[in-house]
Amino acid sequence: MVVTFQLNGEDCSFHGDPMTPLVDILRRERFLTGTKAVCREGFCGACTVHVDDEAVPSCLKPIGLVQGCAVTTIEGLSSGNQALHPLQANLEAADAVQCGMCCPGIVMSLSAFVRDNPHASRPEIKAAMVGNICRCTGYERIVDAVADCLDQARKAGQSVGGLHV
Amino acid sequence: MAPGVGRSFTAASTLEEAMAARRQGAVVLAGGTWMMRDPQRGVDLPDAVVALDRIPALSKVEIDSDHVVIGAAVTHAVLGRALHGAAGFEGLVAAAENAANPGIRRVATVGGNICALDFAAADLAPALLVCEATVELETFEGPKLIGISDFLKDRHALLAEAIVTRIHLRRDLVASAHIRLPLRKAGDYPVAVVSLAVDKDKRCRIAVGSVEPVARRWTALEQAMRASQASALDPERAAGLALEHNDFQGRDGREAEGWYRRQVLPPLVKRGVAALLKTEGLAWL
Repeated sequence: MVVTFQLNGEDCSFHGDPMTPLVDILRRERFLTGTKAVCREGFCGACTVHVDDEAVPSCLKPIGLVQGCAVTTIEGLSSGNQALHPLQANLEAADAVQCGMCCPGIVMSLSAFVRDNPHASRPEIKAAMVGNICRCTGYERIVDAVADCLDQARKAGQSVGGLHV
Repeated sequence: MAPGVGRSFTAASTLEEAMAARRQGAVVLAGGTWMMRDPQRGVDLPDAVVALDRIPALSKVEIDSDHVVIGAAVTHAVLGRALHGAAGFEGLVAAAENAANPGIRRVATVGGNICALDFAAADLAPALLVCEATVELETFEGPKLIGISDFLKDRHALLAEAIVTRIHLRRDLVASAHIRLPLRKAGDYPVAVVSLAVDKDKRCRIAVGSVEPVARRWTALEQAMRASQASALDPERAAGLALEHNDFQGRDGREAEGWYRRQVLPPLVKRGVAALLKTEGLAWL
């Protein structure tokens, strides 16, 4: 079966088993290894990507369901030559990144969250990341970084990835 | 031949197309959040699947003054948003908004949740039981309606020749609540789930999920609450009745043993009644 979709803004096609998890195509065929395959059961969140702007676990997404969709990975959020996404910049500033295994998934989950919830409270930020497990347990700094990101955007009257706040 | 080579995948755009694939033996693929774990459990993925996500009629929630129709391909996230603030559906909204984790809720569907045969901890099952939902199936002989209770009991046989297409709900509840006990605050399967609702005739409906292999109504407690002299909608009183009429056989599982699932039910009933009393629908009590 041939599946065509957009990957980080570029046309992409896959020939093969339509039940192949999206994460495997990203990593093995496209070498986009920022997306991590960890639990493969949707519990850890390390494989989170955006499909049509929604943050979803790519381990449980068969490529057959991605036909015609737009997929964005951590590599598509900001290439090495561009400014970081505001959330990434805040995570760096808060020194929130430890081993780095969970971070791409956390960034993908929370970048969609800050876009859609510009006035989120701290408990709402925590609720948004229950599907992203950090074994270094650095959650508080991650929550700090998200709160700072939203706060800065509000003060500047700017958007975080789309919506003006 | 390598696994998956030659696998049949039908992205149906109509129900007729989906049924044709079913007749050829294709297995229904909803959001994929249950089926895609099969390889982790040592189970092969099906040789032929039919996806329902491109059938527009199955992906919408229709809200009328006395009726709600939920397409089987509606995700938990969409269901929660669609019914948010609708009086009487507080429990169903809580079930949709607290199951699993946010990423799963954006993908997992209503149909998938109630059709996963070996998924005892499905949150929507007890929530739909207290709504006394009707399940609409498309069978090889045509459409068929069946009560959610009978559907859950007989779904293994029913789904051999059918696809769940819609869930129908009457708007006859004044309040409902959904109480779940996960081991962590969120993100894992609940040890036990208690859904409660009060209908326009002031009758209390209670259902339990995750304790036994299949969710069911707690009719012994419902009857005891109806017969109770004192106000049954008193949290302490309800918990006492739940302890007295606990007729569940807890299932042993990875998250908890059966005795524990059974034992936590009275406190969950207490929390549930307290949550019911906080709803606008029961503010007059």
